[in-house]
Amino acid sequence: MLGSLPLVSIPPEDEALRPAVRAFLKDALKGRPRDVLARSWVGLDADFSRKLAAKGWVGITFPEEYGGGGRSPYARFVLVEELLNAGAPVYAHWIADRQSGPLILKYGTDAQKDFYLPKICKGEAFFCIGMSEPTAGSDLASVRTRAVKTDNGWLLNGQKIWTSGANISQYMVALVRTSGEPEDRNKGLSQIIIDMSLPGIDVRPIKDMSGDSHFNEVFFDDVVLAEDALVGTEGQGWQQVTSELAFERSGPERIYSSIQLLDGWLDYLKSRPVISEASTVLIGKFATHLAVLRAMSLAITDQLTKGLSPATEAALVKDMGTEVEQAIPTLIADALASEPDAPVPDELLRTLEYVTLMSPTFSLRGGTREILRGIIARGLGLR
Amino acid sequence: MEQMMTDDLLANAFERLLQTHCTPAHVREIENGASPDSLWEEIEQSGFADALISEDKGGADLALRDVFPLVLLCGRYALPVPMAETMVARAAYAAAGQEAPKGPILWSDDIPFETPEVRRSTGALVAAGLLVGALERAFEITVEFANDRTQFGRPIGKFQAVQQLLSIMAEQTFAAKMAAEIGFASDGWMPDPLLAALAKSRTSDAAALVSAHAHAVHGAIGATEEYDLQLFTRRIQQGRTAFGSETYWNRLIGETVIASDEEGVLDNIRQSLSA
Repeated sequence: MLGSLPLVSIPPEDEALRPAVRAFLKDALKGRPRDVLARSWVGLDADFSRKLAAKGWVGITFPEEYGGGGRSPYARFVLVEELLNAGAPVYAHWIADRQSGPLILKYGTDAQKDFYLPKICKGEAFFCIGMSEPTAGSDLASVRTRAVKTDNGWLLNGQKIWTSGANISQYMVALVRTSGEPEDRNKGLSQIIIDMSLPGIDVRPIKDMSGDSHFNEVFFDDVVLAEDALVGTEGQGWQQVTSELAFERSGPERIYSSIQLLDGWLDYLKSRPVISEASTVLIGKFATHLAVLRAMSLAITDQLTKGLSPATEAALVKDMGTEVEQAIPTLIADALASEPDAPVPDELLRTLEYVTLMSPTFSLRGGTREILRGIIARGLGLR
Repeated sequence: MEQMMTDDLLANAFERLLQTHCTPAHVREIENGASPDSLWEEIEQSGFADALISEDKGGADLALRDVFPLVLLCGRYALPVPMAETMVARAAYAAAGQEAPKGPILWSDDIPFETPEVRRSTGALVAAGLLVGALERAFEITVEFANDRTQFGRPIGKFQAVQQLLSIMAEQTFAAKMAAEIGFASDGWMPDPLLAALAKSRTSDAAALVSAHAHAVHGAIGATEEYDLQLFTRRIQQGRTAFGSETYWNRLIGETVIASDEEGVLDNIRQSLSA
């Protein structure tokens, strides 16, 4: 019904990557305050991503023949863990590294692999993901953006929304309808790669409640695409996206969204003459939950190295991970305000404010909590 | 006991014993005052209670990590005799060069541990393992019930509201098991005290929610004596507080993190809270 994954540890050759990544990040992120670092996931910094690529750390799991690192998922675990823990602005190369690149590797033609993968590894091709639409959110199968087959390619019309990074990406992988009607649900959907510099594409940033603009609306008006825009099999888009999302949910990415706040609060506590018992217990609770989540995330990484895709377990870890990520700002705010007269450093307060404002989105991206729990229920044999 | 047994063979052999001699009916009889002697005798004959002591003393010389599946099974079958406790206590007596009392050993201050803290953390880890077995069984019983019980013309497991409860149970049970596995990941017979703390904290943290959701899905039948769920949810509630609740162990872990020279939480986890 619900198996258990064996406890694993990171092999020494992959753990050995950590000091080099940490040293690089210490230098590259020097002087950035925690409230800036806390943006990690949505931090767009193309220069940073290119510097990382120059170290060979974008596409670290891609085959060497395409300019990748040829390393195991464990090496990527170490790299990603260090990036997120340090608050590195990863968004520019993030999607290409974790989703679009692996998608092209799995389903792309040789020509597509030769064209895109080396660019990704050099930090020259950033990708965004065109999934949600104004009328297709959790109900992703109802997408209406349509690519119509022409004599020598595709004609694209429609609209995507909540597309993070569309304003700086060279390419988008979009889920679109290539046959049938929205009522046909997951039949007739395909994945296409869109060159974002083509005429007929309009990208409009959307400002979020913290004042940042990382997500966008994207409009397609008679965009002419070549035949080879299709990635994978026409009509198999739904199956491809489902396996891509299973991959998307399984890394260490779902644990560390609030880590800058937690570490900032720990520093603050250590500077206090007296630490309340409630705060001590709370630090212990967060450390415990994160330690177990990390072990589960590693266990899933181990499954990936064996070529398995533990979709139910990945959904379960993502859901619990985002729960802790969201509990961190909620409970730290309570702990700080339980002593209203204690002086709190501005940087910590700014970090708390930012993470508090953005934390509702932690359980939206990559599938909402309610959708994930539906996936878990299906995995339990309930539907 | 066969020295060459793998974990699975070991667990399978123990489970066969429990399937025969520790049915829910047996558990109820013993809870209602019947003698546990014949059940204990079966366990004694099997040698499982000596798993952690060395071969020259008649044991199997297994490590704590090897017996994790056995402790889970004690929890899964609501075993009403202290087999897991006895297994660890006998190892403690052997390590201290003392003769263990005959028969089942209840946890007490008489068991020779180096310090009261070590006694408590070792007891907490055993309780965590038993707790996870009970959580798993309560979860399975609840999923079966949700698939079988029909209301409004369909199994209640088809309703999203019920699915959400079951998914949360699955998550908490899965996390609790991973935490206990970390605690048991010792090559000796004693756990790392901090990993035992982690195991007890996280399993206790899962306990109340899993128990509450199991009963919520079941409705009134789940609260009856005749239905098996109570055998496990009663043990879940007891196990949650045995040897200290989640707050007790979180305080200890929190003190360790605050006192540590490691800079952030991740390095604390990597250095002290990983198997």
